[in-house]
Amino acid sequence: MDLNFSVLLRFQDALLLGLWMTIKLTLICMVLGCTLGFLVGLARTSRNVFVRGLSSVYVEFFRGTPVLIQLFWIFFCLPLLLGVELSNLTSGVIALTLYMGAITSETFRASLKSVGPEQLDACVALGLPKRVQVTSVVLPQAVLRAIPTLLSNCVSLFKESALVSAVGMADLMFVGQNISNNTARPVEALTIVALIYFAIAFPLTRAVSIIEARILKKLAI
Amino acid sequence: MTMPFSPPLVRMQNLHKSYGPEIQVLKGLDIEMKPGERVVVIGPSGGGKSTLLRVMMGLEKIDSGSITFGGKPYISSEGVGRKTVIDTEVRRSIGMVFQHYTLFPHLNVVQNLILAPCKVRGERKAEATERAIALLSRFGLGAKAKAFPAQLSGGQKQRVAIARALMLDPKLMLFDEVTSALDPELVAEVEQVILQLANQNMPMMIVTHDMWFARNIASRVIFCAGGVVVEDGPPEQVLGSPKEERTKDFIERVFHIRQ
Ligand SMILES: Nc1ncnc2c1ncn2[C@@H]1O[C@H](COP(=O)(O)OP(=O)(O)O)[C@@H](O)[C@H]1O
Ligand SMILES: [Mg+2]
Repeated sequence: MDLNFSVLLRFQDALLLGLWMTIKLTLICMVLGCTLGFLVGLARTSRNVFVRGLSSVYVEFFRGTPVLIQLFWIFFCLPLLLGVELSNLTSGVIALTLYMGAITSETFRASLKSVGPEQLDACVALGLPKRVQVTSVVLPQAVLRAIPTLLSNCVSLFKESALVSAVGMADLMFVGQNISNNTARPVEALTIVALIYFAIAFPLTRAVSIIEARILKKLAI
Repeated sequence: MTMPFSPPLVRMQNLHKSYGPEIQVLKGLDIEMKPGERVVVIGPSGGGKSTLLRVMMGLEKIDSGSITFGGKPYISSEGVGRKTVIDTEVRRSIGMVFQHYTLFPHLNVVQNLILAPCKVRGERKAEATERAIALLSRFGLGAKAKAFPAQLSGGQKQRVAIARALMLDPKLMLFDEVTSALDPELVAEVEQVILQLANQNMPMMIVTHDMWFARNIASRVIFCAGGVVVEDGPPEQVLGSPKEERTKDFIERVFHIRQ
């Protein structure tokens, strides 16, 4: 087998466009998904049985089904249900936001739980009102503890976003498949695409370990 | 005495506390504390000493009984399994330091100290910071103002915890085994700070297993076991020549001394 990467050179622009779509999708869904996950994480610790039940059904459903099926469902069924046309980008954003919300809600829930009862004792002994206990003591610690896992969640999102190519969104993966079809050189095309994913994901995963060590060092008392 | 009658600072009446139906921890405690008293509470592990302090701080529900502070009722119960009514305004006069460090790890030392004054009393940040720094230097922690809790030794953490409680000008301090988790060489610096407070006549209730410290700080010692007060008197008596058999046994065992 002879490998020829030079044929890919003329697809440079297409690859960059695909990469841009992947990054855009990841960034938007990262922000929306983390926000959703934070709210759902709070909802899962709610005292209201209904709120708690509804939020766990959502989380368990999205964690327990393949992302690909979630994507198909939102691309093809949601527009029928809503009776409106959804653009590819909108559907992709909805699908990946719901996926990201489900996994980050677990991250937030665990980090909320990690703030020990003795911290709350100290709050009470200092006469801090409930609102201040939450905003000044519990949430800052929970969010700090959540950061490393959230970053890993973002790396997963970045990689999982490749699935949107299956429903025709022109992301990096989609471009890679097109090149592979047009040039009949699947090995080279997919290798290049994999290297691009890796070049972005690897520094991020390294950053996660470094940030994790720093935060642990700061918060361990 | 100039006053013929001084009202108690704290009066606990018939305190009952259980964790579930099986574990009865406080079985009808009656304790009165006069202003200026420094009460050391001793007793076997599991005897309810921490529970007593936590109840006084309003951290635990009670089954029945009541507590007044400065003549004002602030904790009472509506009955077993019912609400425990706590007057948070009155409770604010009481400060507490725990055995395990409970500093806020995400805040530096000064931020730990000024959080409550700023958020609870609406004190201005600059003023609170100034008070915090003055207090820290008094406790030999001036250089640690910007440090985070994780960068402090155990002894420094406990001194910061004491300073944090003092920022709210408490009228009574509760100390629950504050040196028990410390390496032996760090115990003295924390006890020194508490003795410093004692010299300024801060009323306090202290749970400790440190015989030397108890003798030096107590104006009164209470031996608490099985959820009741077994013996109560001046330190020379309770620690030196206890009347009750159970007190004698405990002191011999825990403090390894024969009277
Ligand atoms: N949160 C809790 N739940 C159940 N039992 C508890 C709890 N806290 C304390 N206890 C029990 O109450 C008793 C008294 O505990 P504590 O007040 O900590 O004693 P001490 O401080 O004198 O060692 C012990 O038997 C302990 O196991
Ligand atoms: Mg205890």
